[in-house]
Amino acid sequence: MKISFPYMGTTIVYKKLLEMLGHEVIMPPKPSQKTINLGVKYSPEFACFPLKVIMGSYLEAVEQGAEVLITSGGHGPCRAGYYEQVHRRILAEEGYQVDFLVFNSMFKDFKTFKENMLKVKGKSSWLKVAHVLGLIYYMTKKLDALEKQVQKIRPYEVKKGDTTKVWEKIQVLFDPASTKKEMDRAFQQGQELLDGILQMTVPEERKIRIGIVGEIYVVMESSINMKMEELLGNLGAEVERAQYLSQWIEYNAIPKSINFTHEMEILKKGEPYIPINIGGHAKQTVGHIVDYAERGFDGVIHLMPFGCLPELVSQSIVPKISEEMGIPVLTLSIDEQTGTANSLTRVEAFLDLIRGKRAKKIS
Amino acid sequence: MKELYLGIDVGSVSANVVAIDQGGEVHYSTYIRTNGQPLEAVKKGMKDLHASLPTDVVVKGVGTTGSGRQLIGVMVGADVVKNEITAHATATAHVVPDVRTIFEIGGQDSKIIILDDQMVVDFAMNTVCAAGTGSFLDHQSERLGIPIEEFGAMALQAKRDVRIAGRCTVFAESDMIAKQQFGFSKSEIIKGLCEALVRNYINNLGRGKKLEPPFVFQGGVAANIGIKTAFEKEINHEVIIPKHHDIMGAIGSAILAKEYIHESGSTTNFRGFGATDLAFEPSAFECGGCSNNCEVIKVELDKQVVAMWGDRCGMWANNL
Repeated sequence: MKISFPYMGTTIVYKKLLEMLGHEVIMPPKPSQKTINLGVKYSPEFACFPLKVIMGSYLEAVEQGAEVLITSGGHGPCRAGYYEQVHRRILAEEGYQVDFLVFNSMFKDFKTFKENMLKVKGKSSWLKVAHVLGLIYYMTKKLDALEKQVQKIRPYEVKKGDTTKVWEKIQVLFDPASTKKEMDRAFQQGQELLDGILQMTVPEERKIRIGIVGEIYVVMESSINMKMEELLGNLGAEVERAQYLSQWIEYNAIPKSINFTHEMEILKKGEPYIPINIGGHAKQTVGHIVDYAERGFDGVIHLMPFGCLPELVSQSIVPKISEEMGIPVLTLSIDEQTGTANSLTRVEAFLDLIRGKRAKKIS
Repeated sequence: MKELYLGIDVGSVSANVVAIDQGGEVHYSTYIRTNGQPLEAVKKGMKDLHASLPTDVVVKGVGTTGSGRQLIGVMVGADVVKNEITAHATATAHVVPDVRTIFEIGGQDSKIIILDDQMVVDFAMNTVCAAGTGSFLDHQSERLGIPIEEFGAMALQAKRDVRIAGRCTVFAESDMIAKQQFGFSKSEIIKGLCEALVRNYINNLGRGKKLEPPFVFQGGVAANIGIKTAFEKEINHEVIIPKHHDIMGAIGSAILAKEYIHESGSTTNFRGFGATDLAFEPSAFECGGCSNNCEVIKVELDKQVVAMWGDRCGMWANNL
């Protein structure tokens, strides 16, 4: 069956997974103005921005012949849990008959999970499935390791844009890899490419590190968040994201009682501020801010879709955390606006604030 | 021979040009309404400035700020191109060294800046909505047929309080019409509007922030005594309005240019006063390289491309 999925972050991972299980993959195009226009046109006006963009991606995918769409469900009381229902209806109204496979944590609803797995499994044996999942996890780890370097190198590149180009090349390198050995080779080549980037030497005490937290889609998908990582990099700051795919897999693939992953630790750190699960990534958001403060980061950029309820809650708690932990936080609402001058002004001023804090003056 | 630093603030409603000396003293300033023509406004400002300066003046540095900072920066050859928040804070800290809270209300946006020990520690900016900005007042003054310059003084003549919803200009307007029909006077309505604007501003931008004195109020709207009074009533404290309240952004960028030149020891990129007469041709085209179809801004001087921006992927901006 022809399968597609929402476009988010390093999509070659999903593509690879489905291809290795013998499916034909319809790669949705990277969200562009056209995607957004499509999504906005067919989605309810009040819906959150990720729903609209994903709607656009789906429309582009079914246009190319996708028959099945794979997505994840939502955690707790957040609208993301109903995305699939809304998307399904809109697609049906537009005359597209598509199946949805919604993956929720297998520990919550094992029956549905198993049914979904059986569909994805196709003719492959369970042994093969296990093998493929292992490989994909391995590849995600490798890619994340390289991306973290990309985020550290970018601010010091001599020629603007070099690091981003290398990162795009790296993702292409991983595309044909289907064995551990080939992935190792792609990793090696990627590492060499990264090492080859001409860098300025900046003394340690002048380096600035910024964490990006918030709702997973606007954090992970650069094409809709004004390329926040690149923007910060170009303004001279190292970046770390709260979400990486490998962490997401680790968190979701291990039962809670024996889960000692990074994400569990983060959730614990956020507990003094948001003790209960209010949906979305609000708990992670506050937890990550605490974590970044403890690790000595200089500041945090908090991204949220305009009108996102869980993130509105975390936003109102941010000033308190910011004060108690002594870390500046800038919240930016993401919506379909294309005029970025304003957000740029804020991000620039935010970095001035951080530099000024160090120099003990306005800079 | 006099050494001066220039600061240019190109905003949505006005373009300001100032010249300061080594001590930060303002020697010349101009505030010109752009009327949708920011480039022309800056050209005029630069000409006026040049005409009013003695001939032995040397420009040591230039800074630009405001939403048009990039383009103007290219045109004049700016040494520093900075965002408005940093520029405003710099100027205010220079005039009121112990300032803790800055209220800035401009034509199309408003900001709050929190300082501690002359450092910016927090800020917020409102742009999604016109309710807390000068444009809102402009619009209402037109509706009421009262020139904006007289707006503030009229508010002070009010005898009664009128509460007007300030959350949204649409609500405010229907509320205003209703109150007019109830028989409230123009000055009372205006006072109600001023208070609504301030309430909206404090709720929106001051949310979650500790507002501590000294308070400084600046931006074009600070000329409005009605708003100043409304601020003082809302926060229950005196509000300082600096002498050059409407050109603080420009002053700040001039100071930043001065600091930059001093610290780096470099010489200015200033193209000279004649530069604005050069045939800079800004144009925009749709890239079409991918489905983003970015609107790319291109600035040419004598058929030579001097600056490009607006492309999301950087294929134009990075390859100049």
